[in-house]
Amino acid sequence: MSQTKEELKLELKKHIVEYLNLLDIKPEDIKDDEPLFGPDLGLDSIDSVEMIVLLDREYGIKINNPTEGRQILVDVNTIVDYIEANKK
Amino acid sequence: MGVISAIGNDVSSSLSLLQAAKSGIGKAKHFNSKYTSSLNFGEVDMSNEALSALVAQRTEHGNPASESGLSRTTLLAYLAFQEAINQAKLTSVDLMSMDTGFISSSTVGGMSNTDELYADANMKGEPSEFVTSYGGGEHTLRVIKKYGIKGFTSTINTACSSSANAIMLGSRLIKAGRAKRVIVGGADSLAKYTVNGFNALMILSENPCKPFDTTRDGLTLGEGAGYLVLEGESTCKDKIKLAEVAGYGNSNDAFHPSATSDEAFGPRLAMQRALASSGLQSTEIDYINAHGTGTPNNDVTEMFAFNETFDSIPPYNSTKSYTGHTLAAAGSIEAIFSILSLRNNELYASLNCASPISDYGTRPIDKKTAKELKHVMSNSFGFGGNCTSIILSKS
Amino acid sequence: MYITDLKAISPQLTYDNELLEGKKTTHEDQVYNVIEPDYMEFIPKGLLRRMGRAIRMGVGAGLPLVKAHSDIDAVVIGTANGGLEDCIKFLNQIVEYDEGVLTPTNFVQSTPNAVAGQLALMGQNRGYNTTYTNGGLAFENAVLDAWLLFRENAVDKLLLGGIEEISDYNYNIDSLAGHYKNEIVNDEDLLSSTTKGTVCGEGASLFVLEKAPAEYYAKIEDVEQITYPTELEFDDCLELLLSRNNLQVDDIDTIMLGYNGDSRHTPWYTHLEEHLIPNANVLSFKNLSGDYRTCSAFATWLSAHLLNGEKAFLPHIELRKKHEKEISRILIYNHFDEVRHGFILLSK
Repeated sequence: MSQTKEELKLELKKHIVEYLNLLDIKPEDIKDDEPLFGPDLGLDSIDSVEMIVLLDREYGIKINNPTEGRQILVDVNTIVDYIEANKK
Repeated sequence: MGVISAIGNDVSSSLSLLQAAKSGIGKAKHFNSKYTSSLNFGEVDMSNEALSALVAQRTEHGNPASESGLSRTTLLAYLAFQEAINQAKLTSVDLMSMDTGFISSSTVGGMSNTDELYADANMKGEPSEFVTSYGGGEHTLRVIKKYGIKGFTSTINTACSSSANAIMLGSRLIKAGRAKRVIVGGADSLAKYTVNGFNALMILSENPCKPFDTTRDGLTLGEGAGYLVLEGESTCKDKIKLAEVAGYGNSNDAFHPSATSDEAFGPRLAMQRALASSGLQSTEIDYINAHGTGTPNNDVTEMFAFNETFDSIPPYNSTKSYTGHTLAAAGSIEAIFSILSLRNNELYASLNCASPISDYGTRPIDKKTAKELKHVMSNSFGFGGNCTSIILSKS
Repeated sequence: MYITDLKAISPQLTYDNELLEGKKTTHEDQVYNVIEPDYMEFIPKGLLRRMGRAIRMGVGAGLPLVKAHSDIDAVVIGTANGGLEDCIKFLNQIVEYDEGVLTPTNFVQSTPNAVAGQLALMGQNRGYNTTYTNGGLAFENAVLDAWLLFRENAVDKLLLGGIEEISDYNYNIDSLAGHYKNEIVNDEDLLSSTTKGTVCGEGASLFVLEKAPAEYYAKIEDVEQITYPTELEFDDCLELLLSRNNLQVDDIDTIMLGYNGDSRHTPWYTHLEEHLIPNANVLSFKNLSGDYRTCSAFATWLSAHLLNGEKAFLPHIELRKKHEKEISRILIYNHFDEVRHGFILLSK
């Protein structure tokens, strides 16, 4: 049975918290449309690479360079759309 | 001075390739990694066995083939160290004097034996022959033992600025009277550890690095070692003085663990402090051996720093286009190349720069050029924001 | 140069200075882990989340000093191995994912100069910044650099530190190499042990040094080192240190020695206290900290407090009492593996 979009979003948020070792942030705290690289989460260029690894290991999605990554890693919504479009 | 890198096993062969504008970057033959087929490297084109045989040929201090747990880093260090002390005509007595220091540096050190380290760290089976040899200072210790060095010894790891900091510390020890002569430099070998690390940061290029080119897309890793013998006036009266360490400066960029700030605070301060310690004006610098890694971030921030530091940017190149980035060894290898420029009054071409960054109306040196040189600068910037600039002058 | 402020994270309650009131924490294991403060209280979470153990300890002890002294001119750190746990974690990824797609954080954090870099970043300190990784002399190297900086008039105030972490990995490696005891020894009995091997410690000891302060804990007079010495060369090295400082043997009233319960290592310490400086009171420190490559930084922390007249913990480290005089000059002597030998000289 395939995952609903909401389930996928929550799963992705859990992975983000785990991969980036975010302290004091619960997966539910991340809003779907909150900019990941905005001031609240405080993520930086190394995190964008960590997220590229996350997408590869968890969803089999290859992103080859950080520039391409920047278009996709905007917020949870954009990543989930990309996963759904590209997941194998 | 002594050097080994992708462009040669000694100073004279390195000079020939610099003069011929011939890079040593290409496909690796000896380094074993998944990336050897897809990426380019600045590899020293010799197997460990061949390196070991060359060490045995060059020194009377014992055949390394009999040493267990010997890393490639140490073999490279032995070769460059031996060439350096030969050129400076240091005797065994000189080396064993409490007034003689040795300051080396490495990032990979004994970790170049990645697979053995994995097994030992995770207790997979019997200890390997390398079990006591993983430390960053391991190659330093081996050189100390081989040559019987008793004075001040140190190993520095400030990532890619390490051996530039070794030159700086050695000069300071002599100036303060804590040593009469100090051998300074660094060694690093290609390792899965660094290749995968830089690859994970997505700053390795698939092509040979293109420093200061608008289409540059990352660095090329290299390996090598470089050592310089620094002596105070009192001990080098009758010797050929290759150059004088005229100034040095270090600063931390205080911005990010693996990137330089847009304002290039660290690079600018390092260059300014080097100028201040040398007593020279920025207009007196005739040439810069740039850090020039070929990553998008480094080259644009280094250019910005040049523009802020110099009214008119002096001729510059990146000899990493010949050797790849030799990490901890880069500072000393590039200082040696700078001294070759200085002594031969020649500027060597910066390679792989077809469409230079043109923001400041300059481009790197495009072909071998004759120029009377008095003072040259060599830059080295590393992870953790560590930035060092050295000024070398004709003596 | 003078120690005007200091902070240590160690296997003792040093962070809040309870050890100074005499309260010792007992260790009965092959590993002496540090007692860590709640880093969340003072290290920004965005940075803390990436820090490995060595960096947490180094920043944990260093950040309060950097915050209290915004006018620090340089950061000089000694750490033999830096973030070794991150290093091996990254290595494990290389092997387990067969050099595939790897996360870079462990790699970036594994460079030993990450602590010095992070302290510079957090304190926005763009001064001189360096890191020594010279095994058992990494801290002594850092002390000499600091000594040079003051002598050159390059700084008025700097941050000096010695940091080492225990990870399962480096414990495994050093254990395979025969560094640690096979049997469990209580810390009360460690120094009288006659078997091979010692216990594994860790810690971060950081110091603010100043050139000419009005008040201070102690003065660091000098530092000296030698590698692979014969006994004669060792004796000459100590003599060189004393003569450079115009001192006689009996000017040193206290020696703090690196006795670690390893029968192979003991003879060097015995030689020093019996033949070279026979009249000084003898103190230990590794029964409190365990053994690690930069533990002389912890010895320096203890010495600075002793020279400042804080002596409640003295009974825990007193080995032999030869006189009743006040402590006014301490020589710390330590070696790692009988190879790298270091001296640090402190006075009131």
